[in-house]
Amino acid sequence: MTAAVRARGLVKRYGAIVAVDQVDFEVPSGICFGFLGPNGAGKTTTMKMIYGLAHVDEGELSVLGLDARRQRREVKARIGVVPQEQNLDRELTVRENLAVQALYHGVRSDGRIEELLDFTLLRERAEAKPVELSGGMKRRLLIARALVNEPDLVVLDEPTTGLDPQARIAVWRLLEGLRSQGVTLLITTHYMEEAERICDQLVIMDGGRIVSEGAPNELLQRYDERNLEGVFLQVAGHELRE
Amino acid sequence: MTAAEIIPSFPAATRVWRRNLRVFSKVWKGALLPQFFDPLFYLLALGFGLGTYLATVNGIPYKQFVGAGLMSSAVMWAATFETTWNIFFKMEETRLYDSVLSTPVEVQDLVLAEVAWAATRAVIYGTTFTLIVAIFGLVDSPWAILTPIFLALGGACFGMLGLAFTSLIKTMDWYSFYYTLFITPLFLFSGIFYPLDRLPDWVHVVAWFTPLYHLVQITRGLVLGPDAVSVLGNAAWLVAVTAALFVIPARALRRRLVA
Repeated sequence: MTAAVRARGLVKRYGAIVAVDQVDFEVPSGICFGFLGPNGAGKTTTMKMIYGLAHVDEGELSVLGLDARRQRREVKARIGVVPQEQNLDRELTVRENLAVQALYHGVRSDGRIEELLDFTLLRERAEAKPVELSGGMKRRLLIARALVNEPDLVVLDEPTTGLDPQARIAVWRLLEGLRSQGVTLLITTHYMEEAERICDQLVIMDGGRIVSEGAPNELLQRYDERNLEGVFLQVAGHELRE
Repeated sequence: MTAAEIIPSFPAATRVWRRNLRVFSKVWKGALLPQFFDPLFYLLALGFGLGTYLATVNGIPYKQFVGAGLMSSAVMWAATFETTWNIFFKMEETRLYDSVLSTPVEVQDLVLAEVAWAATRAVIYGTTFTLIVAIFGLVDSPWAILTPIFLALGGACFGMLGLAFTSLIKTMDWYSFYYTLFITPLFLFSGIFYPLDRLPDWVHVVAWFTPLYHLVQITRGLVLGPDAVSVLGNAAWLVAVTAALFVIPARALRRRLVA
């Protein structure tokens, strides 16, 4: 099976700062793949290069078999993006946010929107504006929005940051549901328990580099640790949260 | 910058334009009224107030002279508001463009869409005001029926200028310069309130380089009986400047939104 995402020697600089430094990784199709690391590790920048909101300075990046540098429109047509920042359309209701997303993608939306309102448990708030939603609902709407074009790959940047435990579990359930439908998930997180619970495979990033990779259990065994926190401390030489 | 980063997709731009139309259709009552009163008050104060003392300008009743000019400034203000404050808000406050650009829409599509939308809004305001002017009996020529087409060109030109400025500034504070040093002087010195004929030649030269002057020439021509060559010449100026400026926001917004 071809990889959903393949990066070779990926580099991204912002002035003198090297945000992503010669990174190689391969995301197999159909799994939940995690990028674990502290803030500033280069996770978000890597995601932005994948979904076309950051230029690739050096290296190769293929997404769903397409060249992410040259085939941006094609790539974006087939992926879904859940950004870290809330960038919902504040002027539109929940349902309209989904309808406009379908419009941007040029896809028919009628049945899909109803399906997504049910899937993300937002049916009762379909006519509400984003400002009237709780943090967890907004996040679920961002997820619903990312699914309108029936993507093969969904990129989620810190999908549960800032959510209370209940809302976090609701998001995890959604992600597990998606994975069981065969959608490839790519998530960034700085929560160990999130990485352990939902990621089939992960890479650990620190200072713009990948410092280790493997399945969560494999990493625990390899470094003889009881949790990923300990693994991170061993491979990075400092705590995950400072 | 490659061709793929500069040539817009019309279908993609149309989709963004339709989103704006959808939002506007929900808020149009609140949005339309305030901006619509503005030129109306100028028309009443100057055309019917001052006009009582100034009977004619170059043989044209003063209220008619001013009314035709104000159709142009209504367009300028509407398009300028749209691509200054409104765009800055969408770009920096709500981060709306980040989400739009995560779909198959690219930066240059966004530029085309927003300028087309600014032109659309300008046509809505400008045409409404044109109807008022007609109701006051200040329209002489049946050619006035073509006004919306030319108001759209003027709206696109001011929309593009505003977007170019917006794409280059870091904070909203810069808008006070844009309005006080560019838009307001245009409003006062483009021949809306008095003809430029008897002013020194250099005034004409400066005026020729400003978009509002050309738009005023067009609207006044259409309302009072047009000189087709003059109307088309002024329209060509607006189209050329709008097209030439496209590359500025397309490049600057790409640097800004796709770092």
